[in-house]
Amino acid sequence: MNLPLNELSRCFQGVVPSIVVTADAAGTPNVTFVSQVHQVDDKHVALSCQFFNKTRRNLDENPRAWVEVHDPLTLQTYRLRLRFLRSEKSGPLFDSMSMRIQAIASHTGMTGIFRLIAADVFEVESAEKNEGFLADVADDPDDHVTVEGVRHEVRGLQFVSEAINRAGCLEALLDAVLESLDKYFGFEHTMILLEDECTKRLVTMASRGYGESGVGAEVAPGEGFIGTVARNRRVLRMSGLTTELRYGRTIRREHGAVTPEVPLPGLPDAQSVLVIPLTIGERLVGVISAEDRDPMRFGEWDETYLQVIANQIALGVDRMMAAEDPEPAAVVSAAAPKAGGARRTFTFYKNDDCVFVDGDYLIRNVPGRILWKLLGDFQREGRTEFSNRELRLDESLGLPAIKDNLESRLILLRKRLDEKCGDVRIVPAGRGRFELQVSAAVELVEK
Amino acid sequence: MSIFVGTVSPDGRPAGCRGIAVTSPDHLKTVTVYVPMATSRDVLTNIAANKRLAIVGTYPPDHSTMQLKGTTTAVRLASDDEAEFLDYRIERFADMLHAIGIPRRNARAINHWPAFAIDMKVDEIFEQTPGPNAGMPLR
Repeated sequence: MNLPLNELSRCFQGVVPSIVVTADAAGTPNVTFVSQVHQVDDKHVALSCQFFNKTRRNLDENPRAWVEVHDPLTLQTYRLRLRFLRSEKSGPLFDSMSMRIQAIASHTGMTGIFRLIAADVFEVESAEKNEGFLADVADDPDDHVTVEGVRHEVRGLQFVSEAINRAGCLEALLDAVLESLDKYFGFEHTMILLEDECTKRLVTMASRGYGESGVGAEVAPGEGFIGTVARNRRVLRMSGLTTELRYGRTIRREHGAVTPEVPLPGLPDAQSVLVIPLTIGERLVGVISAEDRDPMRFGEWDETYLQVIANQIALGVDRMMAAEDPEPAAVVSAAAPKAGGARRTFTFYKNDDCVFVDGDYLIRNVPGRILWKLLGDFQREGRTEFSNRELRLDESLGLPAIKDNLESRLILLRKRLDEKCGDVRIVPAGRGRFELQVSAAVELVEK
Repeated sequence: MSIFVGTVSPDGRPAGCRGIAVTSPDHLKTVTVYVPMATSRDVLTNIAANKRLAIVGTYPPDHSTMQLKGTTTAVRLASDDEAEFLDYRIERFADMLHAIGIPRRNARAINHWPAFAIDMKVDEIFEQTPGPNAGMPLR
């Protein structure tokens, strides 16, 4: 019986590698494994062409192919009889398939080596269940979207939307979003990273389900799953992650590459990820990432509603960030200020941890205490270089032991200084380090 | 080892099926691959007309893969005294899948008996582990 391809969607998630059989003009068969069988539409699939030297030559001689795909939950197999149509080396289909491979490549230190050569597009002549393959079929989990489930999730969308609208600050907004995703959608391991306009790196601003390790982490564009999503501005949904990573690592081993791997953010044993860019139009605001140990945790439906939420987060974050930092990016990345004749008076009010500069409110609480420590060290010892680590160890700053959000506090501090006092700047100087640039005479007053 | 057998019909239509086990008495000069009767109809139909055969074996934990190509010399129904061996191979396959997160019950559910035994004279052996050396002849 010919099956609609939509019924085989689980088979196309790449959890279990598929098998493709081709033949040359002389009638010699060739068998190979393929990492991606991508459903293009209801009559076409595309296979990832990476190292298919023989397969590629066979298809030029004989366009017919046989593919066996697996349902990752039951191991039931399905047989597709295909006819090769064309190879695509650019365009949306290629980009979509390529991004998945780029992400794995980056994650395994194989960028540029482990890459998609072409998306080979086939017409599906037939798709059939491999009858008799399983003697005793395992239970088929019901993954259909129920009306009740939809109602629950729409209700969840409403709560998330309200949380975003009610949030009074960036941190509250991010925390409320992650809490809502956990509470209403069961996403237990999530994080939101925002682009640092100075470094162009993504900085983890809020996380849930990871403890301290997920917050403050940085990701460069193109680095790992999150960086790949940020660079490409495209959703990445991956299942059977350990399978994919094993495949990437095999190629790395064969190739002898030595580039170090990017540590997997969050769960070390995550088997599925859903990473969505936060964008305003084409402009990247950040990335939201969800992970799970269940290899089939994220389906198309999760992707759809998380995209709706991502759009709301992006708008909310943009609103918050715009309120805090009205300066254009070009000013933020300007060269270090040169010393002039300016004089700045900073006043620290101990009662409420407030710092004022020249009589104007600058910042309060932990970022205020951090600033006061930096300025004190600078004035007493002439220090200009500091590390995040020493701040974390300084009990006088009052940083919480878990989830201290130091990076976001420094971002906030940097932005406030940029806005209120261009003579004193905090400039990132590598991972976990920063420099205090002072180009004015500084007077410190404590009250 | 995960095994798959590929064949092609005289009019160029490929077909394949999963293999259960491969044995070789003479260091891969000849091999016997066992395929389930339940899922090997297309493969056997093709072999009846075109004896060319490809057998791929892969080790899923690290994707180490090798492909044998050759000519079918005989096809027979596996004898009862081979059933225990195929049960054993399925159990090892289940262990291997379990190690990478796939429940043992899934592999155990693969219909593997009765089975056909296909004897093949090996003509060529290829490295097929994913990577730049995939497709290199080993013999």
